[in-house]
Amino acid sequence: MGAVLSSAHPLATSLLADISVGDHIQRTVGGLQLNLDTIWATAAAGIVTIALGLMLRRSATSGVPGKFQLAWETALSAVHTQVDGSIGPRGKRIVPLAVTLFVFILVCNLFGVVGLGATYDFLLPPTADINLPLAMSLFVIVLVHVASIRSRGIGGYVKHYLTQPFPIFLMPFNLFINVVEELAKPITLALRLFGNLLSGGLMLSLLAYLVVWKIGVIPVGGILALVFNPVWKLFDVLIGLIQAFIFALLTILYFDVAMSDAH
Amino acid sequence: MTIATSNFLVPNGTLIVELIAFLIVLGVIAKWVLPVLNAMMTERQEQIRSELAAADAAKADADAADAERRSVLEAARRQAREIVDQANRTADQVTTAAQARAQAEYERIVQAADAEVSVARQAAVEQVTAQVGAIVVAAAERVVGREIRASDHQDLIDEAVAAVRAGAGSDEAAAGAAGQGR
Repeated sequence: MGAVLSSAHPLATSLLADISVGDHIQRTVGGLQLNLDTIWATAAAGIVTIALGLMLRRSATSGVPGKFQLAWETALSAVHTQVDGSIGPRGKRIVPLAVTLFVFILVCNLFGVVGLGATYDFLLPPTADINLPLAMSLFVIVLVHVASIRSRGIGGYVKHYLTQPFPIFLMPFNLFINVVEELAKPITLALRLFGNLLSGGLMLSLLAYLVVWKIGVIPVGGILALVFNPVWKLFDVLIGLIQAFIFALLTILYFDVAMSDAH
Repeated sequence: MTIATSNFLVPNGTLIVELIAFLIVLGVIAKWVLPVLNAMMTERQEQIRSELAAADAAKADADAADAERRSVLEAARRQAREIVDQANRTADQVTTAAQARAQAEYERIVQAADAEVSVARQAAVEQVTAQVGAIVVAAAERVVGREIRASDHQDLIDEAVAAVRAGAGSDEAAAGAAGQGR
């Protein structure tokens, strides 16, 4: 596509170079670099999530639920079913975490729908910045390890890393494998979400750059962008939903593995 | 505030802010939203359960009422059958008794009539025998031409009467045989 664009328009090459990742509006506060665009997008997503929650709290009824309440109930009962099926009654405490993760990540992801594909989007999905996914996945993994220790005791927790999956005489090997696995968990959990959302935003940028492609006076790229942008955004909604679901599901499964006696 | 390009895979201080933001959202949702939703869902399940239980109870009641109605109906049918049977038996008994009474009455009447007839015949025979004696004496007076004292010829009269009786007895026997044949 780059070749087509560059042959179509002499500006295209320089414009394509403008599509970059990792650009943020930054400010250093107390020695900490802060991505302000991510922070305000997160704040907006948080406010939307809390507003959705408080709206539900005000209108919730034990009678026939409306569509809004039904959506919340669907998420909650899906998490309940998953937790009951894998962890059992002990897993009740992680239900709020999983539900909040799902709803909050979904709201964050849907911000991609209002994105224009600009270099600095007004509201990028905060999950397209590694900081938010990593913050959530680290939080989850810390809680998973706490749950594992509470469930098995310190001795059982340590022993678990030394005696699985191979017999005790392969202890160092077991330890190595398990440490790698435990380190990989938060990273994969974060990168999966982050990568999907980042690429969604990049796709919007690429579609936006199609606009420069003209044949004579016919804005071929503009027409294509008009067609593909909504198509991609619909796809993005689906991706956002799936990624939110996967994040919440994996959280539950990590707790399941940590709290189960046999592994 | 600067626009900076950094390695997109390396987190920075934003991570801490993001974590705090997420914890705030988690706290609000977990403390103020989900308990309410959970309570509503539990309440609804409870309502549905109690309504189902009520429906079950109502169905059981209806079933019991239906069973009772059936049993009552069956009992009524049985009773009706018994009453009809009883009535039929009674009717048979009455008929049989009436027939027996009618037969007895008939026989009694026939016997009474027979007795009356034989008494009347007896009386007639008596009367005839009495008159025959007088007629014989009168006839004999005319034949002999003088008065015959009946006491003087009592033996002859008795003999004649006995002859008449014998004749009447054979008549009576014949009449009796005819009555039995009837």
